[in-house]
Amino acid sequence: MEPVKTAVQSSSVARTRKPSRTINRVAYGILYLFLAIVAVFQIAPIVWLFFFSLKDNQEVFHSPFSLPTNPKWENYIKVWTEGNISQYFFNSVVYTASAVVLTVLLASMVTFAITRMKWKFSRLVLGLFMVGLMIPVHSTLIPLFNTFTKIHLIDSPLSIILSYTAFNLPITIMILLGFYEALPCEMEEAAVMDGASIHHIFFRITLPMTSPVIATAAIINMIYNWNEFVFVNTFISSDIYKTLTVGIQNFIGQYTTDWGAIGATLVISILPILTAFLILSNRIVEGIAAGSVKG
Amino acid sequence: MNHILSNKKVILLYIAPALFLILALVYVPIVLTGYYGLMKWTGFGGMKFVGLENYSRLIQDSLFWQSAYHSFLLALFSVLSLIGYLLVSLILAGKIKGANLIRKIYLIPMLLASVIIAQLWMKIYHPSNGLLNHILIKLGIENPPSWLADPEWVLFAIIVPVIWQYAGFYILIYYAALKNIPQELEEVAKIDGATPFQIATRIKVPLIMNVIKVTIVLAVVGSLKYFDLIYVMTGGGPNGASEVMASYMYNKAFNEFDFGYGSTVGFFLLIICLIVTYLIRKLTVVRPNDNN
Amino acid sequence: MKRKGYSLLFAAVLVWTVVLSGCSGGSEAGNESGSEKMIQFMHLWPAGSSKHHNMIVKDIIEQFESKHPGVHVEVEVLENEQYKNKMKILSSSNQLPDVGFTWAAGYLNPFVEGKLFAPLDDVLDDGLKDEFVSGTTEAYEVDGQTYGLPLELNIAPIYYNKKIFKENNLEVPETYKEFKNVVKTLESEGVTPIALGNKDRWTGSLWYMYLADRLGGPKMLNKAIDRSGSFEDSAFVSAADEIQKLVKANAFNKGFNGLSNDEAKSQFLNEKAAMYLMGTWELPNFTTNEEIPQEFRDNVGYFKFPTVEGGKSDINSWVGGPGVGLFVAQNSKVKDESKEFAEFFVEKWGDQAVTKAGVIPATKVDTGEVELPQLYIDILDDLNQSSNLTLFADVQMSSSVAETHLNLIQSLFGNEVQPKDFAKRHEEALQKE
Repeated sequence: MEPVKTAVQSSSVARTRKPSRTINRVAYGILYLFLAIVAVFQIAPIVWLFFFSLKDNQEVFHSPFSLPTNPKWENYIKVWTEGNISQYFFNSVVYTASAVVLTVLLASMVTFAITRMKWKFSRLVLGLFMVGLMIPVHSTLIPLFNTFTKIHLIDSPLSIILSYTAFNLPITIMILLGFYEALPCEMEEAAVMDGASIHHIFFRITLPMTSPVIATAAIINMIYNWNEFVFVNTFISSDIYKTLTVGIQNFIGQYTTDWGAIGATLVISILPILTAFLILSNRIVEGIAAGSVKG
Repeated sequence: MNHILSNKKVILLYIAPALFLILALVYVPIVLTGYYGLMKWTGFGGMKFVGLENYSRLIQDSLFWQSAYHSFLLALFSVLSLIGYLLVSLILAGKIKGANLIRKIYLIPMLLASVIIAQLWMKIYHPSNGLLNHILIKLGIENPPSWLADPEWVLFAIIVPVIWQYAGFYILIYYAALKNIPQELEEVAKIDGATPFQIATRIKVPLIMNVIKVTIVLAVVGSLKYFDLIYVMTGGGPNGASEVMASYMYNKAFNEFDFGYGSTVGFFLLIICLIVTYLIRKLTVVRPNDNN
Repeated sequence: MKRKGYSLLFAAVLVWTVVLSGCSGGSEAGNESGSEKMIQFMHLWPAGSSKHHNMIVKDIIEQFESKHPGVHVEVEVLENEQYKNKMKILSSSNQLPDVGFTWAAGYLNPFVEGKLFAPLDDVLDDGLKDEFVSGTTEAYEVDGQTYGLPLELNIAPIYYNKKIFKENNLEVPETYKEFKNVVKTLESEGVTPIALGNKDRWTGSLWYMYLADRLGGPKMLNKAIDRSGSFEDSAFVSAADEIQKLVKANAFNKGFNGLSNDEAKSQFLNEKAAMYLMGTWELPNFTTNEEIPQEFRDNVGYFKFPTVEGGKSDINSWVGGPGVGLFVAQNSKVKDESKEFAEFFVEKWGDQAVTKAGVIPATKVDTGEVELPQLYIDILDDLNQSSNLTLFADVQMSSSVAETHLNLIQSLFGNEVQPKDFAKRHEEALQKE
């Protein structure tokens, strides 16, 4: 697939018209400058967070933007030794991964049924999912708690995974929907002509074709779930089922908060999603290339 | 063909699991919230049915309408910011060197938890040793506002980080949508002598119009029920100057033990979102959807 | 190939779901498995931020368990805000832990009305009552019955930086007039007189409460709140007026209404502000906390809020009172054991709270017996001589009035409300109750 792509690119370069070259250069220069400045702004917070994690409260408040004068690596040691961080870490990974897979799969199935199949209530069902976007999380807590208590899912990882899935389904479906609607249906129609089964079409044609948006939706879901804490605090009471966000709370006291340690926890907690994010975000482009070969 | 694509069993199989989840875990709470909204209830102990009393209180509650106004402002600015994000995405999705790296960098703030974003911006806005006022004083402005303490500025001061926080989210969606456009279309346009600007406005943007519509709905609904950063950074203050609907609801339900009224606010928020979404859908219909 | 992949994934998800739901079954098998009794206990002192508190709690639980074989204490720890949230949600379905933390008066009332907390008078009458400093358990009383056993007792002095005072030739003020002079001198020397983080609102309330107390007498606020008095008493208005005068005199750090207490405190700790009015829970920062430079800690002193000329209160009247206390759930399945645990906890906590965690307990401390930093000894002595203790206004009031009060405090400091309206709107809110 790579050769095809480069061939297209070189042909477009050849077609660039000559007279405007210098103007183009200046324009590109300005463009890059702009992009670079924005990039600096976007990367600064993560660097700042790292410095933040090496400070004590005094420095955090007094010189928030300077380099740590006396880096406190012990913040990291504190975070690792106090509390169950490895257990929390494991739980975070399990909940996030399970919910992301479940959400993306279920949302794809729904979107596929709504945009590709013909049935009477498709719009109504879509509407049902969209309303889910609009309810503020905090007004659901008490009813959800009651529901989970009744079905004996309180203090169970399943309550977390299912809530994450249910609450992220609407936004995931919305994201998928825009793409499904923009994507031509010819390939699927051709497959129908060839007598392929519907599962075959969904799993072998539609899912691979939509892998860029699946990657996008997965990234968004992943970030939401990873940083979520309201559901975990509400539905989980046993320490062994809690997640990394609890590790942060470990450093919030009745009257004082240990900000350096919170920073260290956040640095540790950001590493896995940063990695996952970099891997997944490559899929956005690769997916297109794979799709275009088939076309 | 129609036979396969309208197989009821298959449709049920594809829809049912998700539908079941959302009915059980989202609709039950919605219905119950609506029900609690008709009650006088502290959240525990006895409930008393009061009918629409909470709603008539809501209509006359100037503090609620003030917070609703703030939420609408936030929604407005969020929608306007989409233009900027679309622009950045158009540039990144074009054939420029290093786009891949730049895009990844742009999305990084999205990974940060709200708690740390709030800390960062509180330090930027700090009245005496904050970054912003340092710069303003260097620029010769003598008495810069103390942002989060100033009722005139606080709302705008809080809108900026909220919008910034979501930059990655929308750029990511737009970027993926733009990358989804078949290359051939662009090639053809280039052969016809179209400028990059024309390609962007006449071909790319119309092609991802459905995605743009979706993001408008997401931005509006997301803003109307927005809560996180505001609650951490100002708690809605000073004296309600940065209160939004969701933080108002939270304060009523959880801090003032007025769960009945809090539920009314929550349910009303849902109704507002529904109306607004309906209006957006009406206003943005470009062409009848020919996919169905 | 691809298809196999997806089906595998699907299968994996299913298996996973079953496994997860399987492990949840175990923990559900709740309170009384066999002869083992389990007490659920929820508190808000995480090991990370409140190491010493947390260790004492662990230690107490171990002692209790070894004394009561067959009883197991299951602990859940949440931070303040999340703790309050969870309390609310658990109460809505009557699932409170057997023993947990509560706050006094206004916070406690709805739980008592909802019959969620058990009266603890039987525990107190066992002789425990004599161990408490008088006036502390009363804050947990509703209609003559006590529903909480207080663990903390705090008062709020004004801490000051001795070095800054010395550099500016200032003496500790004893009257409000002297105090205003101190403020004026500091301000003219370019030093921020007072650190205040009024985003949290109760911080500004402390200042207002003291002024109201000094002007209108120690019981005025209590009476206005319990409705035997009125908030439109002229002293409430003049206290509000004095606050705005302080603001106009630049007594507080810039942008106080947008700063959290943490941020304001850091200004005091970094010697950027000369004074700081705060509860005694800050004492460790000025005595034993190794993270703060010794030199600074040696420079911190405190004084009592000055008296106002012609005011109705004396200098030994304090704002303060008990902080968190223990409750026992009314519908607990192990109520007797829970009460026993609460009693045991209070006694053991009192023995080590101040020495190990720097928390002044609500039970009596014998200053002659324990070794403490001088600042603690002074505070404890002052506490013994106190003529009155006014519980924090936002704790005294019901939660919705408290919310009105706190918002009005922010407006008052921000010069957005006239002192007269300030008092009037309090009165209206209180009348509505």
